[in-house]
Amino acid sequence: MTRKITDHRSLALTRRAFAAGAAATTALAWSPLRAQEKFPSKTIEVVTHAGVGGGTDITARMMMVHAPGVFKTELAVVNKVGGSGGAALAYANSRPRDGYTIMLITQTHLLTMIQGKAPVKYAEIVALARATDDPQVLMAGKNSPYKTAKDFLEAGKKKSMKYGATQLGGVDHLAVLGFAKKAGQEKPTVVPFRGGGDIVINVVGGNVDVGILNYAEADSQIKSGDVRPLLVLAPKRLGPLPDVPCSKDLGLDASYSTVRGFVTLKGVPEENLKALEEGLVKAMKGKMYASYIESSGQSPDSVVGRKEWQAQLDAFYNEGAEALKSIGLLK
Amino acid sequence: MDAFLAGMGILVDPYMLFLVFAGTLLGIIVGALPGISGSTTTALLLPLTITMPPTGALAFLGSIYCAANFGGSITAILINAPGDPSASATAFDGYPMAARGEAGKALGISAISSAIGGIFSVFVLIVAAPLLARAAYNFGPPEYFALAVFGLSMVAAIGGDSPTRNLLSAAFGVLLATVGLDLTTGVERFTFGIYALSDGIEFIPVLIGLFAMAELLEQAAHGNVVKEYIKLSAVKLPSLADFRKCAKAIILSSGIGTFIGTLPALGATTAAMICYNESRRWSKHKLEFGRGAIEGVAGPEAANNAAVGGAMVPTLALGIPGSATTAIILVGLIVQGVRPGPHLFNEQPTLLYVVFASMLAANLLYLVLGLGAAKLFARVTLIPPAYLWPGVFVLSVVGAYAPNQSMFDVGTMLVFGVLGLLFRRFGFSPAPLIMGLVLGRMVEETFKQSLLIFDQNWLLFLSRPIVVLLFALTILGLSAPALAHGWRRLRAR
Repeated sequence: MTRKITDHRSLALTRRAFAAGAAATTALAWSPLRAQEKFPSKTIEVVTHAGVGGGTDITARMMMVHAPGVFKTELAVVNKVGGSGGAALAYANSRPRDGYTIMLITQTHLLTMIQGKAPVKYAEIVALARATDDPQVLMAGKNSPYKTAKDFLEAGKKKSMKYGATQLGGVDHLAVLGFAKKAGQEKPTVVPFRGGGDIVINVVGGNVDVGILNYAEADSQIKSGDVRPLLVLAPKRLGPLPDVPCSKDLGLDASYSTVRGFVTLKGVPEENLKALEEGLVKAMKGKMYASYIESSGQSPDSVVGRKEWQAQLDAFYNEGAEALKSIGLLK
Repeated sequence: MDAFLAGMGILVDPYMLFLVFAGTLLGIIVGALPGISGSTTTALLLPLTITMPPTGALAFLGSIYCAANFGGSITAILINAPGDPSASATAFDGYPMAARGEAGKALGISAISSAIGGIFSVFVLIVAAPLLARAAYNFGPPEYFALAVFGLSMVAAIGGDSPTRNLLSAAFGVLLATVGLDLTTGVERFTFGIYALSDGIEFIPVLIGLFAMAELLEQAAHGNVVKEYIKLSAVKLPSLADFRKCAKAIILSSGIGTFIGTLPALGATTAAMICYNESRRWSKHKLEFGRGAIEGVAGPEAANNAAVGGAMVPTLALGIPGSATTAIILVGLIVQGVRPGPHLFNEQPTLLYVVFASMLAANLLYLVLGLGAAKLFARVTLIPPAYLWPGVFVLSVVGAYAPNQSMFDVGTMLVFGVLGLLFRRFGFSPAPLIMGLVLGRMVEETFKQSLLIFDQNWLLFLSRPIVVLLFALTILGLSAPALAHGWRRLRAR
């Protein structure tokens, strides 16, 4: 019995050691000659800024359920936590640009690059495939005076609304500022919290007027009636929330979502990029990944190829730079 | 009732029993290894549970979670290196006990208090989960602020005997807590452009450094001295009198621990710290604390295991994790297609009773393993120093490295090891520093959040009943020594 358990542990450790070893060996063995071989022929590293068990880490691991079968090679997650994606970008930048290092990034990485806190410029980011596109939803507590999106929008024109969001200067914050401007709300107050769970509690407890959340973060509170979703910040309504209006229904051009997707750095040969794009998309069309996407309340068309993903990244980069300037975090 | 029976049925199902047993044993072992905590292990094994049925995955992860909190006390007691952050308060008195030859006794009381705390919290979970979970919604930033202030008001009393040094140590902890990205302004503070510092100073390497590494350095200084190590003959299980002495601490800590566990963001570590203080406050033998008080082991151990059941309350009832490990268990459930929340109690009662049953089983199992094998675990201290401390060094480095796979964290651990050594040399206690580090960030963040919520009006703090209650307790706690002194003088007249 003891033996079996010890094996578990050593297995976990060996796998990690193996990944590290493999990484070291491949770094040494890399040469232009080898790059001519069929791609991919060795372990692909997937770099994330999330710790083991974090949301982005889970997304990466879900993609990897089917990926080894598709690519006919191993994949390994490399967690580089810190610097709002800066550490992950720095690590990827230190690797050869051969397609064997890919990153799973979020808008956070872009904001970090905009602020010049990463050793990589945005121009070097090459999109591969989008993994998740999770629209933000404005939600109020069950005791809130705002029963519908209209109530909220009307009231917001007269008083400063308190939005529960994650970190100041982060993606949520910019979304709130952008939305409030389009909805004609002056000076919204953003109350920052450590995570979605925290925001939900404070929405239910009435400490903030609304929270800006992803559907999955408040799924159980929505079902129990403690949280009332008011408005989906997307051009389309959400599958699990057919009765909740989207911004287009109210004539607002306001789409904000939490996006994760795979990218690599400039310099990777075109045929490798193509192989990565096709393989990733195929892996994410797998059953396991699809059920993961569905259980978190997202539509299956979250997964798109590099053209659409690159366009979305470009748009977000430009908007992000402006927004950061407007709140004084960027000079 | 059918669901209850079906849930309890896992106790006779060989496959489920195997998973609970495997989880418990694994939990004790990883819990005992400094740096490798229950949350690290559940995270690493999460992919494995995807292949199990939901009930099996839950039983397995739940058992690891329960047992890891007990396992942490083994190394905290034997080598002063808390195997799990939640066991850091256990080391305050557990190690002095072991040092004077009562390792077996300390381990025995730890196993029994852990099991009592754990089982108590599971019963609370069963009976009151839907009700208790509601309390979470009444805890907003102002309440957390008051709670953190209450916690900080106690630092002068914990650890060493000099209140001044304790306050200095705590202040240093609060200062360290300011490092990193400030949540409420989005500005990086004291990070010097180092990525690894942007999320603040990592808790685990600090802990390993202050406890394990500092001890190692201290021992290295005595390298040439032939030091007599704890003899096996001294290993003795606690007596009935010991249990009687600890009864109050165990009961008190089981209750407080469960309550703190139910609060999101506050887990076993905070529960153990607060209950260590409370055990001391209500003890008749206050002076023994920090010098090997058996109640000082019983209190935090009952508390950290009670917090496990408590933390499962918001996780299952609200879908909001009460700790790092429950966050991972939550992800495990979601991956299985099970979405925890209030509706879970109506839709899948069997699944819930499986959780309850497996947690009960795990609590009983580590009690048996802990008591039965206490002598075996106690042998760790019989390992010659020449083998033991290099082993501790390796474990410390691996433990600091593992959670983030970061060499920077290893450096942090080493720096805090040296700092811990200096602390010892100059009569400072590391415990208030850790309290300051944990609570400092909470005080600052919740204060700023509260002011945003209150439109910068400070007086509105007094409009919240729970805040007023906690403030009153804080004032009472701070003035208690003065009041007691005055009362004695009055009586003497």
